[in-house]
Amino acid sequence: MRTRDIAGSAGIPACIERREARTTVSVLIARLQARNLALPTRGLRFLSAAFLCLFFSGCRGGIQSAIDPAGPQAGRISKLWWLMFYVCSVVFVLVIIAALIAVVRSRSKQSKAARVEKITDKPKLSLSKAEEQRMTRTVQGAVAVTVVILFVFLIASFSIGRSLSSDMENKGLVTIEVTGHQWWWEVRYMDTNPSKIFTTANEIHIPVGQPVTLKLHSTDVIHSFWVPNLNGKKDLIPGKDATIWLQADQAGVYRGQCAEYCGLQHAHMALFVFAEPVDKFNAWMDAQRAESVAPSNESEQRGQQVFLTSPCIMCHTIQGTQANATTGPNLTHVASRSTIAAGTLPFTRGHLSGWIVDSQSIKPGNHMPPIALNSEDVQALLDYLQSLK
Amino acid sequence: MSARRVLDVSGLPHHSFEKDSVWWGNWGLLAIETTMFAIAIATYFYVRQNFQLWPPPLTDTQPPELRPLPYLTVATLNMLLLVISCVPMILTDLAARRGDAKRAHIGLIACLLFGALSITLRAFEFSAVRFRWDSNAYGSIVWFILGMHLAHLITVTLEAFLLTLWTSMRKFDMKHRVDITVVAVYWYWVAAIWILLYAIIYLSPRFSY
Amino acid sequence: MAKTEKREEKKVVETTRSLSEESDRRELERTWVHGTTMMFLFAVPIMEGIGLYLVPLMIGTRNVAFPRMNAYGYFVYLFGGLLLYGGFLLNIGPDTGWFSYVPLAGPAFSPGKRVDIWAQMITFTEIAALVGAVEIIATVFKQRAVGMSLNRIPLFVWSQVVTSFMIIFAMPAVMLASGFLAMDRLVDTHFFNPAEGGDALLYQHVFWFFGHPEVYIIFIPALGFVSSIVVTFSRRKVFGYTPMVLSLIATAFIGFGLWVHHMFATPLPQLGQSFFTGASMMIAIPSGVQIFCWIASMWGGELHLKTPLIFVLGFVFIFVIGGLSGLMLAAVPLDLQVHDTYFVVAHFHYVLIGGAVFPLFGALHYWFPKWTGRMLSERLGLWTFGLMFVGFNLVFFPMHQLGLKGMTRRIYTYLPETGWGDLNMLASIGASVLTIGVLLFIINFLYSRRAGVIAGDNPWNADTLEWSTSSPPPSYNYVYLPTTQGRHALWEKTEDAPVVVGLKTDCREVLATNVMDAEPDHAYQIPGPSIWPILLALATAESFGVGIFTPWAFPIGAVLAFAAFFGWFWSDPNSENREVKERKVKPKPEPSVKLAQQEEGA
Repeated sequence: MRTRDIAGSAGIPACIERREARTTVSVLIARLQARNLALPTRGLRFLSAAFLCLFFSGCRGGIQSAIDPAGPQAGRISKLWWLMFYVCSVVFVLVIIAALIAVVRSRSKQSKAARVEKITDKPKLSLSKAEEQRMTRTVQGAVAVTVVILFVFLIASFSIGRSLSSDMENKGLVTIEVTGHQWWWEVRYMDTNPSKIFTTANEIHIPVGQPVTLKLHSTDVIHSFWVPNLNGKKDLIPGKDATIWLQADQAGVYRGQCAEYCGLQHAHMALFVFAEPVDKFNAWMDAQRAESVAPSNESEQRGQQVFLTSPCIMCHTIQGTQANATTGPNLTHVASRSTIAAGTLPFTRGHLSGWIVDSQSIKPGNHMPPIALNSEDVQALLDYLQSLK
Repeated sequence: MSARRVLDVSGLPHHSFEKDSVWWGNWGLLAIETTMFAIAIATYFYVRQNFQLWPPPLTDTQPPELRPLPYLTVATLNMLLLVISCVPMILTDLAARRGDAKRAHIGLIACLLFGALSITLRAFEFSAVRFRWDSNAYGSIVWFILGMHLAHLITVTLEAFLLTLWTSMRKFDMKHRVDITVVAVYWYWVAAIWILLYAIIYLSPRFSY
Repeated sequence: MAKTEKREEKKVVETTRSLSEESDRRELERTWVHGTTMMFLFAVPIMEGIGLYLVPLMIGTRNVAFPRMNAYGYFVYLFGGLLLYGGFLLNIGPDTGWFSYVPLAGPAFSPGKRVDIWAQMITFTEIAALVGAVEIIATVFKQRAVGMSLNRIPLFVWSQVVTSFMIIFAMPAVMLASGFLAMDRLVDTHFFNPAEGGDALLYQHVFWFFGHPEVYIIFIPALGFVSSIVVTFSRRKVFGYTPMVLSLIATAFIGFGLWVHHMFATPLPQLGQSFFTGASMMIAIPSGVQIFCWIASMWGGELHLKTPLIFVLGFVFIFVIGGLSGLMLAAVPLDLQVHDTYFVVAHFHYVLIGGAVFPLFGALHYWFPKWTGRMLSERLGLWTFGLMFVGFNLVFFPMHQLGLKGMTRRIYTYLPETGWGDLNMLASIGASVLTIGVLLFIINFLYSRRAGVIAGDNPWNADTLEWSTSSPPPSYNYVYLPTTQGRHALWEKTEDAPVVVGLKTDCREVLATNVMDAEPDHAYQIPGPSIWPILLALATAESFGVGIFTPWAFPIGAVLAFAAFFGWFWSDPNSENREVKERKVKPKPEPSVKLAQQEEGA
């Protein structure tokens, strides 16, 4: 596995780029860590997790972590995890102790006496009946305990499994259609009033404390929707409908990632969920429903013209202009998003221009062709795109 | 050398008609093929869930046909033929066990004729399925099952042919007499599995959607 | 402001130049070739290969039942491996995973021939596994030493028989999955095309109906290794022979009822999933029974802590962790979190390396003296174990953690803000340690083959029949076949145990015994070396190799195969003609056990 720092590879002074690349996300991380520090009751779990991996620290506090739940579903699953973790740890320790005692008590006299190359002791063929019976009973007991443990696990698994969906089924006030594409997420907020439907990409905003219904589709290959802090994953299979419910109990930003191999850029198919207080969420919805802002100065106007006359228009939509293609992400309010290229880069002018000019070297194999524009046009286009709040 | 108890097996026969290794090997291979067919049949019923009508409507004919069921005549004839062909095979098997070269030859040649006829009829069965393999998933799986069975039909006929050649041109020896009884098992299997496949491909769409 | 941004822009473009589609693709391809190799070209073949070598020795016969079919299987395997690696070296390796899910691997999203090479190679190499399985079943059922009734078969041989049955019922599924995929790509069938009534999930069902039993196909022979090693080095009768055999069989049965636990994240009905959760947990019972029985055997024995047994202890440690994390994966809710993450990567490496590769290394250390006639260095063996054990745990233990922290599988890179870097670095260090361990084994192997201590027939004073012949065994294994009086053939051998005489020594004659009680039934000749199996394998290779490009390869291949088969059949030396010319070599007339059988037939 090779780590690649998109912004800081190829030996340039990485610090500036790296700081830059981290801006958005590191703010999010800081916010989340603050939230976690406020929950010291989990110290015990922290300890056991540290015991689990002798060599790491900071097990908790991930923005993409299954054992750091921020919603009721992920919370229940992480309870199941800790139950199984503790029980399994005890079982493991007991088995290893039994094996070690067996080894220590039963070393043969020959091998104790001298280091021998070849074995010559006679095998034990007549065995003590009492001891065999005792061992048989012990083994039977161990099997019985195994069966009991399995039943406990089975019941825990069933009851938690059922509660994951039944608690929320049909209760979602907000319905969002998520469509997987190679390699980005199309996000469509549904409404009974068609004029209130709007589309965005790679970033999902949800109200805190309310269940949200996500309808999952795929138009090309199989993807899998996974935001571990909130819930388990669900596959998006072409030709099949799938639904998943999310609920965040704490405001915050949670990272998700495609979890089913979907081609070359599977690694760069992330998404963010922003859990916000209801009023903030509603304000965001209203802003997203609006048409795109009109260009307010000459450069932005020129940028819009560049957009509408270049190949951009073949794939993207900007509501309120003639651009209404749906092959690529909807850009109506692109400047309100914090990342580009499905969570690959922070949304900054520099990254945006790099992406437009040569996206293939950032995310090789993606479906956006390089756009040949002169420098002035690029600057104007950037001005325009950055104005699309 | 000190005297030692031995078990002298030099008096044992060199072949057995009772489940020898070749019999087990043959059944092992047939178990593999049976699994193949079982999964192919599972696929057939799995794919069926995706269709409202099974077989799907045929739209490129005038008038369009809502349920283009596969034609029965040739397939039924072929099934009867395969069942009847087991009779000469049984006789051949018995003759081989008895060591009756003449009857075994007659039986084998009869089986070859049956096999050849059945292969010829199969060619017409593909067109009795009203779709091509590339029309839709229904066409794909039905052609696949028919094709796989055809491959077995050809293989078992060729095996019988080779045994006929050997036993008539060379020798009606013990080894090849045992082989005849094993090929007979294969023959019965080909016939038996066809009854099942016939029922699934040709009859099951007639009884339900 | 504008100036700095301009500079920045330039920088971004420059710095990202080094990334290319080509290098990313190669990175992923290496992973897929790794997975494909391990599942299809390493794990199953090496387990079956060791079985084909040891089973005839262990049941006291001269050869497998169908040596020519064996040769055919080997050459098919060889050509299949060459196909995969040829493609990889020519930069047309698989690019849709070792599992090649549709529609990604279908004609619409993977043009070119990469997937075709993968699919044909899979269909092709499974033929080798299948003929090997038939071989082992026929050999064990018909050629056991006189007296080795079913309840006296060594546990290793049981494990091979159970595995072979699993292969027979599992491998056809993957052949169909890859065959359907190849047909969808080559002749436009619609098995997996939802637009024409096909189904993408169908592929997953068929693939995992093979894929899960596959894990047990790899793992059960390893249980056989462990049983052999535990018995020998604890110097006592095996504890719980019958429960152990029943556990093997139960594992095989339950193993076929688990495949959906690879698909819990797909939109399947919840009720169905519950069944598979139950089955997936149930399989822990037979595994548990075996672990407990081995510990009991050691408890009641007199242990020699030699390298093979140390590897078995390592196996217990690692495999128990893998088994327990398997229970976690069986629970649907938890699986939904860790499915397709590094937690799963950790789990199956714990099960497969811990459950199969550690026993395999134990087995290599254990049977090396039989195989080569010399002992491996014990000191190097312990070092090998130590490095492998530490290295393995360093690589894979952190991956549990990574998975819980959200690291998904099958990615060739990740962003620094995910925070996965440190644990991955640890894993990389562990990988080097593990590699040094394996290299040390290779050194030990090469050195000891030439300069190791001469082993003698039975250096471990072990119980099974293979240790009664010379080391290394002659190509015919035994001149006089042994007979057995108990489960532990050599330990329970009585002074007056007879050996079998009267089998010809100038040709490949073997003794067939009956299935249940292994009483002598008949003696027959198996054929000698022949060119025809290779030619038939070439005809098969033509079908699948050229079948990457055109469907006509198959009818042509069928004709070629028939020609090869005709030659095979017609050149059969094992005819009555030869029997007439046979030289009656009879051993010295010594006290003889009476036989009830009468000559029959011609």
